[in-house]
Amino acid sequence: MSFVDGVKAAVLLFVAAIVQVSILTQIHVWGGVPDLLLVTLVAVALLRGAVVGAVGGFFAGLIVDTATFGQLGLTSLMLTFAGYWIGRYGETTGRDRAHAPFLSVAVVTVLYAFGLLLVHFFLGERAPAVPVLRGILPTIAMNLLLTAPVYALVRRLLRPASRSDLSTEVQLLG
Amino acid sequence: MAPPNRTARVAVLGSSVQRSKSGHPKRGRTALVRRLVLVVLVLLALALLTISFRSPTSGALHDVQGAGSTALRPFQIAAERVAQPFRDVYGYFHGMTTAKSQNEKLRREVKQYRNETLKYQAAAAQVPELKRMLRYQEGPTFPNDFRPVNARVTSFPAGPFTQQIEIAAGSHSGIALNTPVVTYEGLVGRVTNVGPSTSVVTLITDADSAVPAKDLTTGVTGLVRRGTGTSLILDRVPKNEVVSKGDRLVTQGTRDPRYPDIYPYGIPIGRVSSVGYSDNAIFVQVQVAPFAQFGSFDSVTALVSTKPASKLP
Repeated sequence: MSFVDGVKAAVLLFVAAIVQVSILTQIHVWGGVPDLLLVTLVAVALLRGAVVGAVGGFFAGLIVDTATFGQLGLTSLMLTFAGYWIGRYGETTGRDRAHAPFLSVAVVTVLYAFGLLLVHFFLGERAPAVPVLRGILPTIAMNLLLTAPVYALVRRLLRPASRSDLSTEVQLLG
Repeated sequence: MAPPNRTARVAVLGSSVQRSKSGHPKRGRTALVRRLVLVVLVLLALALLTISFRSPTSGALHDVQGAGSTALRPFQIAAERVAQPFRDVYGYFHGMTTAKSQNEKLRREVKQYRNETLKYQAAAAQVPELKRMLRYQEGPTFPNDFRPVNARVTSFPAGPFTQQIEIAAGSHSGIALNTPVVTYEGLVGRVTNVGPSTSVVTLITDADSAVPAKDLTTGVTGLVRRGTGTSLILDRVPKNEVVSKGDRLVTQGTRDPRYPDIYPYGIPIGRVSSVGYSDNAIFVQVQVAPFAQFGSFDSVTALVSTKPASKLP
């Protein structure tokens, strides 16, 4: 990945994080909250791979935790895993598949919500499962609505990586 | 993640291709770097999480977070300002669409609160009377061997021919026939008909009512009965007895245990308003102004005896 691409990805994630903590957290639809940052991270990770996904997730999480004065490292940890996992999916089986962004967003939304719940539970903090479960479907729906435009924008800004840039440990042919 | 010696299947050819034992050196390095990056980031996140968790409100990390939050604040404000017009537009249209239903809802609430206010005002108006009634029940003039049953008056005398009221308490509350009924002011009457949860009280202003009474000042006794109209008189007072205007009359109570009176001793009845003597009358003409305001009370107290009913021989 070039330096310019790195800067673009960083700016994208930074803007997404700021918009998320400033605006989107106030939008509650049937208990769900749209997660622009997660969708942007998924798009970046799918297009740029696991390393960029993990690093981007880590620093985006750091911005969120800092801006919200939350538990530092918590969102970073979850978004690092999310970025890495989606990056691996993009590098391997998800490559060139039209449904990959949507599938990734849907799955990661669920895993991210439960991951946060689990970490909060292990930290001995309040971990209300019922509101999370109640809001999971609206959150998925809103994130899926965001996926198409966000992925198109990210794809436009970050040109798809060449095959040689991506890992080919597992490659499905045909 | 595939092992280095994994067999990759080529769909087109339908045959397997064995990778070289050493694998591609660049790919191996990439995988190592990738895993290393993940491990480092996860450890870093865990370290931050641990430090932040152990000292959430102090320490160097907290200061750094505070500085970072301050640095990010302008961006957040900018984002909020950019979003504000859209939020306002949304709020405007959302308000328009919900205004009608909100108006309807608010009208219902106003109606409900108005009814509740009326209810509370009516209840508040009863408080002084109930307080006085409570003071009477707890006071020294309340008769012994009786317990109070407070009841709301559900109907008042319809006219001069009916000197009865209906109260919202009956046999379920222990009320029986001839149970005396009072207010904190004085005697009202006695129960002449009992239902499970309602009773009919015949007032002392009824033509058939007669209450043995005693003048507290002079000790003169007589019968309080209905006079002309709905006024009361103290009847059967011989001319040689002295009764003065302003004397207080109370119920006489039982004089002979063999003939118990239905009214216990000491219930205030009224005050002597005038005393007249006539040459051709056998008794003194004593007019009585009752203490109980028969047209204004909302609730009364029935005096239910706590003594076991005496068996007839």
